[in-house]
Amino acid sequence: MDLLAGIEATQSKNFTIDEIYTPYPVMEAIDALKRKSRFTIAAFIYGAAAVIGVLSFLYWTSVIDWPINYGGKPTNAFPSFIIITLVLTILTVTLGSLFTFSLRAKIYPGKKYFLPDERATDEKFVMLFDKKTAGAGYEAIAAAMKASGASEVYEKEF
Amino acid sequence: MYKADVRGPLILGNKDYRQITSDIIAPIDNKAPGWWKVAMGVAFLLASIGFFALYYTVRYGLGTWNVNNSVAWGWEIINFVWWIGIGHAGTAFSIFLLILRQKWRTSINRAAEAMTVFAVMCAAIFPAIHMGRVWLAFYIFPYPNTRGSLWVNFNSPLFWDFIAISAYLLISASFWYFGMVPDFASIRDRAKTKLKKTIYGFLAFGWTGSTKEWLRYEGLSYVLGGIAAVLVVSVHSIVSTDFASSVIPGWHTTLFPPYFVVGAIFSGFAMVMTLMIVIRKYYHLEDYVTDSHLNAIAKILVFISLIMGTAYTTEVFMAWYSGNPYEMFTFFHNRLTGDYSFMFWAMVVCNAVIPQVMWSKKVRSNTTALFIISLIINLGMWYERFNIVVTSLSKDYLPSSWTTYSPTWVEIGIYIGTIGIFTIGVLFFFRFVPMIAISEVKSVLKPTEITEKH
Repeated sequence: MDLLAGIEATQSKNFTIDEIYTPYPVMEAIDALKRKSRFTIAAFIYGAAAVIGVLSFLYWTSVIDWPINYGGKPTNAFPSFIIITLVLTILTVTLGSLFTFSLRAKIYPGKKYFLPDERATDEKFVMLFDKKTAGAGYEAIAAAMKASGASEVYEKEF
Repeated sequence: MYKADVRGPLILGNKDYRQITSDIIAPIDNKAPGWWKVAMGVAFLLASIGFFALYYTVRYGLGTWNVNNSVAWGWEIINFVWWIGIGHAGTAFSIFLLILRQKWRTSINRAAEAMTVFAVMCAAIFPAIHMGRVWLAFYIFPYPNTRGSLWVNFNSPLFWDFIAISAYLLISASFWYFGMVPDFASIRDRAKTKLKKTIYGFLAFGWTGSTKEWLRYEGLSYVLGGIAAVLVVSVHSIVSTDFASSVIPGWHTTLFPPYFVVGAIFSGFAMVMTLMIVIRKYYHLEDYVTDSHLNAIAKILVFISLIMGTAYTTEVFMAWYSGNPYEMFTFFHNRLTGDYSFMFWAMVVCNAVIPQVMWSKKVRSNTTALFIISLIINLGMWYERFNIVVTSLSKDYLPSSWTTYSPTWVEIGIYIGTIGIFTIGVLFFFRFVPMIAISEVKSVLKPTEITEKH
């Protein structure tokens, strides 16, 4: 794939890529930009908080606020709290993860987005260099990209 | 485990990325075909019958149904379990196959998830209306209320059901929607009219496909996939617990949770097969939903059919082996023989016997045969729920309360209505949403080192 050749070329020549836009997830592109996500940690925290929260709520309703005697069964009927805790935990993790995704990836309704080339969501792998931070001039980058098989290289003001 | 070279190419016809987008969004770009309009008309008619039956129920009460003191659960619970079962395939497909890294899921998961959302919406109608006074359905929410903070019964499977199904609907709908966001962006960026650009632009939530977005997107998919897999198993286990935690012969058994979960996936996969064959045929997407895909679904169906056969046999065997006279009566005099024996044998033939013909490669490669078998399985799964719900209730411990049950036009009308609502949902899905996950299909187009690694 030409995108990989392009990434290798930038790495060997020490250019700094500003962003890569791809029509589908390409792990090498994510690695090349050294992007890291703590998504799973966030999800775990939501889950842990939900387990504690739901169990405490069930204990409070069933034992403290309004205890009901079902034929002498203990009011703290822990085993039968497990299923509802599981389901509500899953619900909390889902909602939490969706909000986190929306917040961190900045994906929300009505967002003003910046997309350098509209073909990036369809067929092209787009590597974006910012003149100020790329570490080389347009000619040097263009030559390296052409050499690694880029189909187009162009300069654009945003 | 299975790479494309073992399974055959996942996408036929030497496509490039642009061609894939064009092929999949063609139904959105083109005008609605004639058959679509006719189908929509019929679906609206069915839905109207359902809405009238619902109105009639609300206006005149549950007395318009044939449920009675003995058979308190009739068609409503049968249809509820049937729809929920169908709704399980979306998640089963998307999530189990996502976690197991099965790449052939990519052409099918979108339609399966859509089906889940519509099926669960249809399912939710039944318990709500079965409550009697549906306008008071909010009583089931655990909220501090004017009745002295009397809480709902947190130990009741019926309450678990409510929470589990609400959560399931919300999670499947989010999983489905967020899966579509990159595809909406593709449509937005290729749209020729301003209206289309605005609508799909709004739906795309500003997606650009940058590495920053993809990284989190992948994180979200796997987190949701991982936890929703647990939910699939728990939701239908809970539905089965509605039955199993009672003392009714034929219901009170530990076999129920796995039996229900497998049965749900069975009916769901059959419905996925039905839909995929329709999509393939009428939208000419044979290059994406290949014979190899249908073959894979058929093999899964044969396997699950065997499990279903085992479950049916186990139930009958345990009724005899337990020596419990009530269980013996229910199975041997009220299911295998008796008033409802047709339902029992229809269930066995449709679910455990007929699908066995799919052992033959000839049948698995015959689309018409697969289509008919998928419909037979769904019919069989409906018989199974009728068999479970009605036979056990109709003749329980007290012969004085024995009765038979057949539905009124109102109950049939509500069921017909849900079929209409489901069909409307699916037809809108065909027309306005990419039926196949464009970005995911692109990722399996060229199984180079890149796509194999992650």
